[in-house]
Amino acid sequence: MAAMSSRCAASSSSSAFLGAPLPGGRHHQGSCGFVAAGGGAKTTVRVAAALDTEATAKAGKSSSRARRARKDGGEPGGSSSTALLAPTHPDGGGGGGVALDDVIVNPVGLGRRSRQIFDEVWRKFSRLGQMSTVASPEQEEQEGVLFRGGGPMCDFAVPGAQDTTVLVVGATSRIGRIVVRKLMLRGYNVKALVRRNDQEVIDMLPRSVDIVVGDVGDASSVQAAVSGCNKVIYCATARSTITGDLNRVDNQGVRNVTKAFQDYYNQLAQSRAGKSSKSKLSIAKFKSAKSLQGWEVNQGSYFQDIYPSRFDEGTDASFEISENGQAVFSGFVFTRGGYVEVSKRLSLPLGSTLDRYDGLLLSVGGNGRSYVIILETGPLADTSQSKKYFARMNTKVGFCRVRVPFSDFRPVNPQDPPLDPFLVHTLTIRFEPKKQRPGDSSQGASDPRNFQLIMEFIKALPTGQETDIVLVSCTGSGIEPNRREQVLKAKKAGEDALRRSGLGYTIVCPGPLQEEPGGQRALIFDQGNRISQGISCADVADICVKALHDSTARNKSFDVCYEHVSKQGDELYELVAHLPDKANNYLAPALSVLEKNT
Amino acid sequence: MASSTSLAALPSQLASPARRAALSRSATARPRHHHHSLLRAPPKGCRLVVTCNAQTAVPTSIAQGTPVRPTSILVVGATGTLGRQVVRRALDEGYDVRCLVRPRPAPADFLRDWGATVVNADLSKPETIPATLVGIHTVIDCATGRPEEPIRTVDWEGKVALIQCAKAMGIQKYVFYSIHNCDKHPEVPLMEIKHCTEKFIQDAGLDYLIIRLCGFMQGLIGQYAVPILEEKSVWGTDAPTRIAYMDTQDVARLTFIAMRNEKASKKLLTFAGPRAWTTQEVITLCERLAGQDANVTTVPVAVLRFTRQLTRFFQWTNDVADRLAFSEVLSSDTIFSVPMNDTYQLLGVDSKDILTLEKYLQDYFTNILKKLKDLKAQSKQTDIFF
Repeated sequence: MAAMSSRCAASSSSSAFLGAPLPGGRHHQGSCGFVAAGGGAKTTVRVAAALDTEATAKAGKSSSRARRARKDGGEPGGSSSTALLAPTHPDGGGGGGVALDDVIVNPVGLGRRSRQIFDEVWRKFSRLGQMSTVASPEQEEQEGVLFRGGGPMCDFAVPGAQDTTVLVVGATSRIGRIVVRKLMLRGYNVKALVRRNDQEVIDMLPRSVDIVVGDVGDASSVQAAVSGCNKVIYCATARSTITGDLNRVDNQGVRNVTKAFQDYYNQLAQSRAGKSSKSKLSIAKFKSAKSLQGWEVNQGSYFQDIYPSRFDEGTDASFEISENGQAVFSGFVFTRGGYVEVSKRLSLPLGSTLDRYDGLLLSVGGNGRSYVIILETGPLADTSQSKKYFARMNTKVGFCRVRVPFSDFRPVNPQDPPLDPFLVHTLTIRFEPKKQRPGDSSQGASDPRNFQLIMEFIKALPTGQETDIVLVSCTGSGIEPNRREQVLKAKKAGEDALRRSGLGYTIVCPGPLQEEPGGQRALIFDQGNRISQGISCADVADICVKALHDSTARNKSFDVCYEHVSKQGDELYELVAHLPDKANNYLAPALSVLEKNT
Repeated sequence: MASSTSLAALPSQLASPARRAALSRSATARPRHHHHSLLRAPPKGCRLVVTCNAQTAVPTSIAQGTPVRPTSILVVGATGTLGRQVVRRALDEGYDVRCLVRPRPAPADFLRDWGATVVNADLSKPETIPATLVGIHTVIDCATGRPEEPIRTVDWEGKVALIQCAKAMGIQKYVFYSIHNCDKHPEVPLMEIKHCTEKFIQDAGLDYLIIRLCGFMQGLIGQYAVPILEEKSVWGTDAPTRIAYMDTQDVARLTFIAMRNEKASKKLLTFAGPRAWTTQEVITLCERLAGQDANVTTVPVAVLRFTRQLTRFFQWTNDVADRLAFSEVLSSDTIFSVPMNDTYQLLGVDSKDILTLEKYLQDYFTNILKKLKDLKAQSKQTDIFF
């Protein structure tokens, strides 16, 4: 009954109006017709209701109706002066009806309905004379849909935000707090990893944020936090400069997060019996003697001269499994202009092609030499048509992981088109002494024409549209000099771990942070350790949030700070005017000029 | 405590309102003295006279008080149409926002969802105000009384208390929203009060920013767009007044730009939308965008004015009469707008960035139409039929 009467009140205002005012200034104890709409059937009931309204009194004086479209067909026009008690049933209609006896006889219901009608009419009338309108509760609710939480009509709407869960690590930091608020305003679901769950933290964060308590150094709490998230914004930093802290938060924390993220996606992929789109593709794993099959060792010379020189002392290389089970590619090249290489025709698993990947990750242990990786592309049948592309790979002493994005490969023959990973059929790793860097201090006295490369695996890094993890690092200019080295070292280690993880990353290095509102000054995006100005926390937060869905932000690291207004004619800086206006996507044009995969 | 001493000084400066005289037909216009230190707000008729001393309490030293961050803001009236957009904008720009809301049994939770802190206070109870101002740099005042409450308690007495408190506690910027042409319509109580409040702020010595507004687009949704969609009757007047509606999000954005602009300090700006519309034009636009004819009831302005006169006869409808006083403006002012070029230039804003009413309503009708129908369909499903 209550439900019906509320609906009646809503729809009755029109017919109440139709019933109440009259031409000709006749006062009448208003008859009010209201329509009870129930399901498909319309039951029109005319009930006499005493309306002691000023509305009828004065509206009865004169009111002209401009246009009127009558929707309910059961009412005769204008003859509402008489109180009709006879109900009319225009359509046969099924169960939508109410027992008419109840309606006529029930005074409380009548009184309530008449009051609602009057309120409705009065509200509309008085609203005409008012300056500002205060929304009624139903409207508040409707407006809530429109304007709150990233609805379509608000300034901060981001399409697809409703389905994205973002984990904010470091949600209590200066940047983290603003990031959380911006995400909430745009309608994202937010999870926060905090160390303590006390009242202060809860007050600091908006209420609908999902709080996970734990430490970044602890893999299990990170796993719990990452599960269910599509993206991660990592703004945590060590609060002190104790090395242990730095390593835990800036280095190990990032590793934990990337590992947990990959694990989570692999887990999801397993449960649907597919492959995770973010996992790396294994091209070669050197575990046993069998894995060396298909790899050929060749040698050659850059010089077309086929006459062996008198000073040729020979070239030798081998690729074999050593005693401790490692695959070692070693040898020496004393021939001038010679090289040795080990190559293999790739055999990828069925259905995988390299075009869904955008780089190679090699885990090798070298002695500091640099090698050249060559990819041959072309039709499989006709190898003489292959085009070759090369990229340099530098190794350190000891084991390291080297990331070589496909964008780094250049064609051997300058007229060839850029590398198309889809057509790659052969991978070669080449060592050539003439290109070794002379001042490699880690070698000491050993001859740069020797080399030894322990190969662990070769994997391909997946490509993607958007970035997965946004990491806020630092440039170091805001830190006092005696601590700077340590902090930067830890941060760099974290950044490298992120780059090699195979996830889409965006690394933002802001200048010294300032507590100012954002959106005021122009920003400079640069890749080169040249920035010197500060930047406000709110601007950094804005960049993090905008980078989540920007395809130009994927796999880029850059510095950002305010523009320095006094410098004139400085072409080093790519100036991006960030105007505080509505549809503001300054990030894409700014980042599109920066180098990828740095 | 510094705040309590200034607060004790507050109520004594407010003269107790005179008792309302019995109804009288003779409307004598009381002469208005815009004296420097004494302000009267006497509307027509024998209404209560509120006097207030513009000398505020000397700001006591708060050297050992709470440190104030320049990014901290207190928004009064944060649950209103304008207030919530101001809160959203402030949160997005990185401010720490504190919202002053009245204690309610079911509080408005969306503010906390966005990340603002909420404090409880009531402008009609001045003793609750000082605690909310601790550690605040800027106050943005978007509050007004609800139509069912008497205007005077919130809009005048409450505001005066707030301003005096702000001055005493050393608030460094006070932003106040007023109404366009409020100085030209002393017969409308709300406008008169806004005008007096403006003068009070200007005399109080705060670093202020007063923004006069013409009208909000958000209100048009509930008044015209929703009834047209639901095929209900739309009520409009035949007044020739043209009002330049503006999107509250744009108002909020421009407010923050103006707040940070040193040239706009201690200034009175007016924000008007890009074009001034009559109600008939708005209804026609809605009809065109919705694709269906409206069920329009045109109430002549004369009827409104007559209602106002009628309600003034009765004491219990006096508040209603105050609210309906705007009908006087409707019949007199023909254009409720100002040219905005100078303001845009001062703020460094491009006029193309301001949303027009056509675009606003178009966004509404294309995006929300479906959503609302879904909502209504869902709500209909929960009705139980016996």
